[in-house]
Amino acid sequence: MILITGGAYQGKTAYAQQHFLYPITDGADCSFDTAKTTKMLKNYHILVRRLLECRSDAEAFTHLLCAENPDCVILLDEIGSGIIPMEKSERIWRETVGRCGCILAEKSDTVIRLVCGIPTVIKGKLL
Amino acid sequence: MMILVTGGSKCGKSCCAESLMNTVDGPKYYLATMIPYGEEAFSAIDRHRIMRADKGFLTVEQYTDIDRVEIPDGSSVLLECLSNLLANEMFRNKKINICSDKIAADILRLKNKTNLLVIVTNQVGYDGICYERGTAGYIAELGRINQKIAANADKVIECVYGIPVILKG
Repeated sequence: MILITGGAYQGKTAYAQQHFLYPITDGADCSFDTAKTTKMLKNYHILVRRLLECRSDAEAFTHLLCAENPDCVILLDEIGSGIIPMEKSERIWRETVGRCGCILAEKSDTVIRLVCGIPTVIKGKLL
Repeated sequence: MMILVTGGSKCGKSCCAESLMNTVDGPKYYLATMIPYGEEAFSAIDRHRIMRADKGFLTVEQYTDIDRVEIPDGSSVLLECLSNLLANEMFRNKKINICSDKIAADILRLKNKTNLLVIVTNQVGYDGICYERGTAGYIAELGRINQKIAANADKVIECVYGIPVILKG
C-alpha cells in the first residue's frame, strides 16, 4: 500500500497519475465496495465523511480496506492543522480522518507527502 | 534536553511524545494542561489516560503558569499541550491576554528544572479561514510560542498521520 498525503491542491493527484497508470477512483462519489477493490483511490478524507454520514465505523472500514486491498494507492488530504471546528460533526470528521490516516500510514510501505508539488518520502523508499 | 512535537489533530503526537519519554529512567511526570470541562474534554482525557496507563507516568495538572508546577529538579516531563495552555492563559479573566512571551519564558524556566522536557503542541494555522479577533490572535500567539520553543529545542518533530518527520535535530 502507498499513501500520498499533503494539504489540498499540493499536487497529489498529478504526482499519483505521473507514477501510476491506474485509473483513479474518487472517494467523493464511488461506492464503498469500489473503494475496497480499486487500485487507486483519491479523496479518502471525503470518503470518511460519507461513511460517517451513513453512520458507518470509518476506522473499521479503513482496517478492512487495508486487509482486502493491500496494494492500493491512496490519496488523503491533511486536514487537521486548523482551528477546532465549532460544529460537532465537523470535529468528529476531522478527528476520524486523523485516526484513519494513522491506520493507512501504518499499513503503507511508502508514505509520500506533497508540499507545493514537491514530494517528500516520509516513510519507506521513493518510487 | 527539550523536544517539541507538533502536528495536526489526531495524528499520533501523544503516542510519539510518550515513546520519547521511554528513553529515560527515573520518575516521569505527565503535565496535563487541559481543563476538564465538557463531554469531549472528558473523553479526550480518558482516552489519553488509557494510552498512558502502565507507562509509569505521574500525572500533574497545571492549567496556567506552567513553571510553578511542583516537581523535583531533574525530572523528566511530558507537557501536553501548548494549545490548551495558551487558551487557558490567553482567555483567562474574560479578556484577551497577549501572553506568548510569558508562556515561552515559563516553559524555558521549566526546561531548566528538567532532565528531559517533551512538549506537545499543535498546528492550527493551516485552514486559511479569516477568524474573528480572538481566534486570529490565538493562531498568531500559538505560532509565536511554537517558534520560540522550536528555536530553543534540541529536536523538533512533526507527526504526519503517525509518521514522525524530523524538522530539527
